Amino acid sequence: MTKRVITLNVNGTEHPVQVDAPDRLIDVLRDQLGTKSVKEGCSTGDCGICAVLVDGRLVNSCLMLAAQCDGRRVLTLEGLLNDPSMKRLQGTFMANNAAQCGFCTPAMLMASWDLARHSSDPSPEEIKVAISGILCRCTGYYQIIDSVREGCRGGER
Amino acid sequence: MIASGTDLLPRMRKRQIAPSVLLDISSFTEDLRYIRQTDGVVRLGALTTVTDLLESPVFHANLSIIREAAELFGAPQVRNVATVGGNVCSAASSEDLIPVFMALDASVKLISAKGERALPLKDFIVGKRETALGPSEILSEVSFAAPGGHSWTAYEKLGRRNMLIISIVNEALSLTLEDDLRTIGSARFALNRVSGRIPALAVRTNEFLGGRKLSEETIGQAQKVLASELSLTSDFRGSGSYRTEIAQAFLKRLLQRCSRMLGGAS
Repeated sequence: MTKRVITLNVNGTEHPVQVDAPDRLIDVLRDQLGTKSVKEGCSTGDCGICAVLVDGRLVNSCLMLAAQCDGRRVLTLEGLLNDPSMKRLQGTFMANNAAQCGFCTPAMLMASWDLARHSSDPSPEEIKVAISGILCRCTGYYQIIDSVREGCRGGER
Repeated sequence: MIASGTDLLPRMRKRQIAPSVLLDISSFTEDLRYIRQTDGVVRLGALTTVTDLLESPVFHANLSIIREAAELFGAPQVRNVATVGGNVCSAASSEDLIPVFMALDASVKLISAKGERALPLKDFIVGKRETALGPSEILSEVSFAAPGGHSWTAYEKLGRRNMLIISIVNEALSLTLEDDLRTIGSARFALNRVSGRIPALAVRTNEFLGGRKLSEETIGQAQKVLASELSLTSDFRGSGSYRTEIAQAFLKRLLQRCSRMLGGAS
């Protein structure tokens, strides 16, 4: 397969990148653009650790070809470090010890931030659905659910 | 041919398939992403996502089966991209929407440069990961008639956990009762596996149910008919005999739910 140049808008900056047809979005994000908050877990869409937002929708970046994102907007945790809602969520995650090894945390934060955009007071059930695609193997989910709830309540966006 | 790639990419990565050319249709959303209901027929564009199904106001009452299946489909990140057409064309027992569409007696529209043709979904799926799709065709639409009065649809799915999981067993039922609300007019019951790993209608069970009273006795007999027509294989997700037991239990649950719903309405 031949390489081609595509344009990815990652965290607000346009990046021309050279991709092979089978290159996945996660490959380009990690290996070419250095957005290492995007983790690779299972590579089969089962763990959700590679979740990012593409055109405002949460997706698994291991299940999408980079070429399919040509001209689209990709948002990773790196793009939200100064965002008030993300800062609040990071604070509640730390206060509740919602991270142990931390491997799932960037994806958990992305899913939580996405939820916070739509709901300022989500029910535990809504939170569970929102993070249902992301596996955590350390802390258990209750600290995470509490953190998301408090983080979302922290104010309007 | 790649729509969203949620099924294709892991298979490419495991080297189960190695396409020399990938034709990406995911950007044709203007033409192929729609949910329309006209004259009692529901039409779903091939690039309609599972999230689109969940967010649509169309799928309530008689069509709640679509919502039930969509809620249990993958997880938000997968639902946001996985498409109706991709699910059907992947033609595997792990594709949750196929039994649902089969229970609804859906048809698929196949288009090519030369024209278009329609096929019943049950004839489109010809084997495990095999469809009747020609080399120069793409599937553009799945359509089905919205069930009429005295009709009811429902879905059951078992995985190892509730979310983000590939089905061990999933079943869909569309049932129409006669005017007496006791006698089964027609039953369309489909499973993710009937023989081997191929989603299909349980033809003999459906024939058995037609014309019978919807009673505990009928349900018990239908479970036996179902067991006799299933030939299920074992894999790491579950053994054949376990799948058969669950399939029978789900049939009972679906028919009892139907009985309660329709009985309560009478």
